[in-house]
Amino acid sequence: MESAAARSGSDRELLLRAQAGNAEAFRVIFDREAPGVRRFLGDLLRDDAAADEGTQETFVRAHLRLTTLEQPEKLQGWLFGIARMVFLEQLRRKSRDAPMPEDGEPMRVDSAPTPEAALLSGEADKVLDGALADLSAERRAALLMRLDHGLAYGDIAAAMGWTLQKVKNEIHRARLQLRERLASYLEGAA
Amino acid sequence: MSGHPSLEELEAISLGETPAEVEAHVAGCAECSRELAWLEAERALISRRPKSEVAHLWAGVAKRLEQPEQPLSADQRKRPRPHWARRLVVGAATAASAAAVLLLTMHPKAGPNFSTPDASVAETDFDGPDSKALAALDRAEGDYRHAATVLEAEYAAARNTLDPKLARQWDESLAKARAELGASRAVAAEDVNARMRVLDGYAGYVRLLRNVMEAEEANP
Repeated sequence: MESAAARSGSDRELLLRAQAGNAEAFRVIFDREAPGVRRFLGDLLRDDAAADEGTQETFVRAHLRLTTLEQPEKLQGWLFGIARMVFLEQLRRKSRDAPMPEDGEPMRVDSAPTPEAALLSGEADKVLDGALADLSAERRAALLMRLDHGLAYGDIAAAMGWTLQKVKNEIHRARLQLRERLASYLEGAA
Repeated sequence: MSGHPSLEELEAISLGETPAEVEAHVAGCAECSRELAWLEAERALISRRPKSEVAHLWAGVAKRLEQPEQPLSADQRKRPRPHWARRLVVGAATAASAAAVLLLTMHPKAGPNFSTPDASVAETDFDGPDSKALAALDRAEGDYRHAATVLEAEYAAARNTLDPKLARQWDESLAKARAELGASRAVAAEDVNARMRVLDGYAGYVRLLRNVMEAEEANP
């Protein structure tokens, strides 16, 4: 639980205190950021136990490297970058022989179904989940950093080790793939 | 405005942060309105998924942070330890011992307690620099430098076998960490608290090097 003193500190002060070894400050950072990291890893790994383990590993590594982070506003993207590395290592350990799925080029989406229908459909959540699962892990990671966690494109580029243009391209393609799945579901349901 | 707004501009509208000019265009453009509706629907669909519970995860993090070295998994215990790890253990253990001596010399209660986050945490309110403390800091820093040198040499030897793109990324990360470490060391002078943070920086850098080598060891 956050103490009043910890809450009152600015993000920069909080980071400096954590970097100086203040355990309470690091706990506050964990409380703030772990839900997003856990959700991100859950979406990538699609395995609750592995996502829990990955979240813990991310924060242990983050603590060890905390002094390398200078800009508090980059904390979330920095943590996601660590989480992505943890995810890739877990993925390699689990399926060294299985190639990672490659992304196809999305088709142009028919404009017939309406996005409002997608929101109203009870099955849309399942369709979305399936569509996310079909994206390659890297494309899914970039898309979710943007749509689910609201990271800026530049921060996503830093976390993924990509150019800004590649981030934009990948997110655009991921969106089209999602929309393709949702649209075809809605057309079938109509 | 001339032409349709970019995807980023439409996205900005969905986040409520856009120039009125763009918004006015979208209001009068069926194509852009539809695109915006999709963006908002996607965001709403993704964000309405259940939230993640994490409170139960802290205990495991705190436990690991209290341990100077992480225990080996059963799988790791079965594998022969690589030669770089043996050398690192020597360097890191020496550095850790020096740091422990330093802490005891300066302040017996200094150091974080991760298992009791709500308790009063000892601040690093050292009385001031003295020759004993600075000498201990010098020794600890020297040990960390040695551990870093060993691992840097191992990394340099292994680098040619790595994927070139990955190697470049590691190079950048390590160079950045080195630059930051150098900068913090340059300004620390004889300020004991700043010197302690430099030690933390060294520890982080050594860990980063070790993580690089472990990642490559695990995924040759």
